[in-house]
Amino acid sequence: MTALLETPPEAPAARARSLPLWANPRLGLLVLLVVLVVLFTALRPSFLDVDFTLVPMQADISVYVVVGLAQLAVLSLGHMNMAVGRMAAMSAFAMGLAYQELGTPLVVDVLIGLAVGAGLGALAGLVISRTGVNSFVVTLALDFALVGLVSLLYAKATDGVSFGAQPGGMAALRTDTFADYCAGNVCGPPVPLIVPIAVVAALLVGLLFRWSRTGREILMTGASVKAAELSGIPVGRRVVQAHALSGLLSGLAGFLLAVNNGAFSAGIGDAFLLPSFLAPVLGGTLLVGGAVSVLGTFLGATITQVIYKGLNLLQFQVDQLKLYIGLVLIVALSLDRVRHVLAERRGARA
Amino acid sequence: MTAVAFSPRVFRTSEFTLGVVAFAGFVGLTIATSGNMLSAGTLAAFFRFLAVPMVIGLAQMVVLAIGQMNLSVGVLTGFCAMASAWLMIEAGLPAWLAVLAALALGALVGLVNGLLVVFTRINAFIVTLATMTIIEGLRYGVHGPDTFQDYSPGLVRLGRASILGLPVVFVVAVVVAIGVGLFFARTVAGRHLLASGGSPFAARLSGVSNDRSILLAHALSGLLAGVAAVLTVALSGSVNASIGDDLLLPSFAAPIIGGVALAGGVVSVTGTCLAAFLVRLVDVARAQFGIGQQWVDLIVGAVVLGVVLIGAVRGKLASRPSRPATSAGSSRRTS
Repeated sequence: MTALLETPPEAPAARARSLPLWANPRLGLLVLLVVLVVLFTALRPSFLDVDFTLVPMQADISVYVVVGLAQLAVLSLGHMNMAVGRMAAMSAFAMGLAYQELGTPLVVDVLIGLAVGAGLGALAGLVISRTGVNSFVVTLALDFALVGLVSLLYAKATDGVSFGAQPGGMAALRTDTFADYCAGNVCGPPVPLIVPIAVVAALLVGLLFRWSRTGREILMTGASVKAAELSGIPVGRRVVQAHALSGLLSGLAGFLLAVNNGAFSAGIGDAFLLPSFLAPVLGGTLLVGGAVSVLGTFLGATITQVIYKGLNLLQFQVDQLKLYIGLVLIVALSLDRVRHVLAERRGARA
Repeated sequence: MTAVAFSPRVFRTSEFTLGVVAFAGFVGLTIATSGNMLSAGTLAAFFRFLAVPMVIGLAQMVVLAIGQMNLSVGVLTGFCAMASAWLMIEAGLPAWLAVLAALALGALVGLVNGLLVVFTRINAFIVTLATMTIIEGLRYGVHGPDTFQDYSPGLVRLGRASILGLPVVFVVAVVVAIGVGLFFARTVAGRHLLASGGSPFAARLSGVSNDRSILLAHALSGLLAGVAAVLTVALSGSVNASIGDDLLLPSFAAPIIGGVALAGGVVSVTGTCLAAFLVRLVDVARAQFGIGQQWVDLIVGAVVLGVVLIGAVRGKLASRPSRPATSAGSSRRTS
């Protein structure tokens, strides 16, 4: 699993291999995760309560893993997508509208929504690759424009801020776990139905960047545009594709959140921007591009949600939680830095 | 032929274009509202609420000057505002001391940002993303979800006062902008900062300390966020933990529309202030015609994208091999 989902960092292969095991950042994250779970369980045994903690937490993690992947898709290029939240909102709007106007089944609605998300992403990618303007500026401007558009559209298409009727199947996705489906005496594990969607998305993204030609070429573009161009890679097309992927995953995240909330509403995606960076960055994906870690993103999203849930159980106020999330981010990154320096020094001596 | 002597340079700058657009917009709005814009009350309100966007845009601009970003400007403004209100109400400090404390707090937090960037060598985007989350928690920690009000009546009166028809807060913002402009244009530290932003390598070879530039830029950004906080406290008469939430995106919009490059090495105080003016103009137009707030976001987003596209097109045209130079117009394509 680790080998499959991780792309080696852009450091020369020889040096990367000489790094000792403890210098692998993913291992550090795993240890941190275990420590956090043990700590919270010791303080509040209800942390391991299946119905009240574990099931909702899995649903939340699913959303934020996909949000993180949406950002990761463009971080691979060394770009940013400041509009993840609003792309998610536009996708969710398209899904709700498709059901309201056409009455199509859930799967078709979702596909329409995802296509809208991917289209918006491709639009951003197109502007970036054609003009060569910084991705931050383009997606920030797109975010501004979409903020306005989303609330205008919701005001026009619905009575207020959310669609009244939801496609059939959304309620089941929201409330059921595999434990509710039994064959004879054998019931599934208490895993919400939306978890597999996120897992499949993560696997596909991992496979794309690990094995597919397109994915490898996107990473090469991220490592060095000039070198990629000279090697005959269609750089512009890869930029558009990576941004379209980001939009698609944003749309998927919007759908998952809508499932968790129980409705397609205008507020979807409002809180996506920060977590979208937290998960990949905690997981060791660099902002410079050229290297991604899907497994790290998964761990990063999980750790963030575990902290939220744990501190919530300890009755911290929501806004106060942020203090600790930020501190964890800084400490984790600083330790990562220290570890890297130490490991390099040791490697140099050996 | 005499016109050529002073025409080319000034008219081709983006500040000039922005200035024309801003002026045209202002005149257009005045005509459209049949002169209502020029009534004392409307005009004063216009400039009063221009102060904070101007200063917050400058706070982002100084960090953009070294090619970095500061995501924490918005929440830092809120935090400093809450802290100074707390000092006045709970700690009973006089207003001037609380104001100074807010400025110092802003500069200090900015300095911490800079230190983290310098010592960890982590991208400033990520460092300030982390400190933004931390400061958000701190901002909430000052007074929970509650509101501070009825602090120093003197400060609030100052926030609503005018000098020669111009609101005091706007005058303060203009003075700050001039100060920032002079800093970049005239001081050694400011020039060093721009040198670091333009090319860190070349700056180092010329004996400029890039680390010092980073520290200075972040501290200055924090200080300006502190100024914005003081202006907010004086303007609003009551503050709570949501202050600053809506400042992050405008803080980027103003310098970017104003022509400041994200790559660093370039600043434009005039451009940033004019862009803030334009955004405020859109906001006022919305209020005058009873249009929804959503349209403002939509228009500002479209304007930023448009400016970016025009800039890219212009850059492409300029980089094309120039026509054979005529004797009079040869100085035009120096850039």
